[in-house]
Amino acid sequence: MADNLEAQFAIETELLGLKLLPGQQESLLAAYAAMREMIALVGADHPMEAEPAHVFLPDAGKERRA
Amino acid sequence: MTASELCFLSVAEAAALIAKRQLSPVELTHAYLDRIERLNGALHSYVRVLDQTALAEARAAEAEIVAGRYRGPLHGVPIGLKDIYDTAGVPTEGGSRLCLGHTPAEDATTTRLLRDAGAIVLGKLTTWEFAIGGTAFDTPFPPARNPWNVERDPAGSSSGSGAAVAAGLCAAAMGSDTGGSIRWPAAWCGLAGLKPTYGRVSRAGIMPLSFSLDHAGPLTWTVEDAAIVLQAIAGPDPRDPASSGWPVPDYRAALAEPELKGMRLAVVRSMFERDSVASEEMRAAFDHSVEVLCGLGAVIGEVELPPLALYGAAAFMIARGEGFAIHEKTLRERPQDYGALARERLTIGAYVRASDMVQAMRRRRMLVDTTAAAMAGIDALLLPTVPDPAPKLGELAPYFGNERPPYMRPFNLTGQPALSVCNGFDSAGLPLSLQIVGRHFDEATVLRIGHAYERATTWRQRRPQL
Repeated sequence: MADNLEAQFAIETELLGLKLLPGQQESLLAAYAAMREMIALVGADHPMEAEPAHVFLPDAGKERRA
Repeated sequence: MTASELCFLSVAEAAALIAKRQLSPVELTHAYLDRIERLNGALHSYVRVLDQTALAEARAAEAEIVAGRYRGPLHGVPIGLKDIYDTAGVPTEGGSRLCLGHTPAEDATTTRLLRDAGAIVLGKLTTWEFAIGGTAFDTPFPPARNPWNVERDPAGSSSGSGAAVAAGLCAAAMGSDTGGSIRWPAAWCGLAGLKPTYGRVSRAGIMPLSFSLDHAGPLTWTVEDAAIVLQAIAGPDPRDPASSGWPVPDYRAALAEPELKGMRLAVVRSMFERDSVASEEMRAAFDHSVEVLCGLGAVIGEVELPPLALYGAAAFMIARGEGFAIHEKTLRERPQDYGALARERLTIGAYVRASDMVQAMRRRRMLVDTTAAAMAGIDALLLPTVPDPAPKLGELAPYFGNERPPYMRPFNLTGQPALSVCNGFDSAGLPLSLQIVGRHFDEATVLRIGHAYERATTWRQRRPQL
């Protein structure tokens, strides 16, 4: 991990092989910063049994199995 | 009846006249085409008008009806399709330079179902680029404008759909909703906009943005019209692996009961008084709506849901991760051909790591369960659709939804049916909105509440002056 957000963004951009257009870096960095906050909000410390929502089919499976 | 009066008939009203042979589908189609010719230059709601095929379809509908083969309430009724709905032999360009000239070989399932029901396709409607690009001025088509004030934003991404229905340029329109793109233009254009339950309506043949958040549904002048359109398009589809075999009820029959006696509704005050504070006028309109529903016999309570930002964060990562997966190849090969907003909103998805995505999906499961638990013993949730009425065109910030989030995205995440209805106008004459959220596959209840509300109020009598 880099020391700061800008450096981390630069590392990830390079690793992803993204060629940013002129002027794109600044706006994308702002979006990246906002997204890092959202990742923190979503969290990673979920109970082990917390299953992901897969392609979301509420109750429909019951109907199909019936 | 004048041409304007014809164009401001609801679907139900037009259908009643067509069924009795008191209104010709050809006459009605001509009226819409003339109005489009007169107003589309100011509103930019259509990107492609199919005048010749629409008239041919209208003549065919008329011949069938005269021969006694009336198909139902969409027969001979002119509609519009957001330009991400495939139309066989007609370009479907998604508002993007990347898709100019792209002509599908077959209809989207919903397009076909609407045609089977006898609807006449007037044309293709303006969309934000790939249903994500925001109100943009660097894409091939100019942004749609709000008929209540052409200097205002109609919202999106189904921007042309909202503008066209409000302006009387079609009787009903189809939109798509990944984070609110049906309900948002419905709210700012003063319409009924229904995001059905995830799986209720096929997305096959509709340009995808986020596989697990995309929904297809109608924008209409009245809730009854939304029920009519939903009836035609609901049901399973082998072409959409997420579509459901859950039984399809008679939605219009569910509207027959004019009152809401004993229905249990809950206000989600935490979202619009704590998480993202709605404007004073929006809150006043909301409180008045609750009084109206109470007067119809509903029992009103209150629930608290997890913070709006938590739903928004999980939905954002899922939407961006899935969106980047769809667009990665063209983003790498032709980034310059995207508008700046779509390019930025899609490229950020590259930075969503696999573990971030899985954590977002785990959080989604928890939020679905928490929301379902909060709805125990409750028939529907009530809250505004958005915090404010429409701003000036071009004033939406690139990440508007994160800075001052509207109240729609939680129900894309949970997959619940959600309906936006007009519940008044602000001091500048711009529409305000109420959102009604139901249990999975219980669109009938959501529509019943919305319809009862519309019948108890006078908001449907006001139309934009154009």
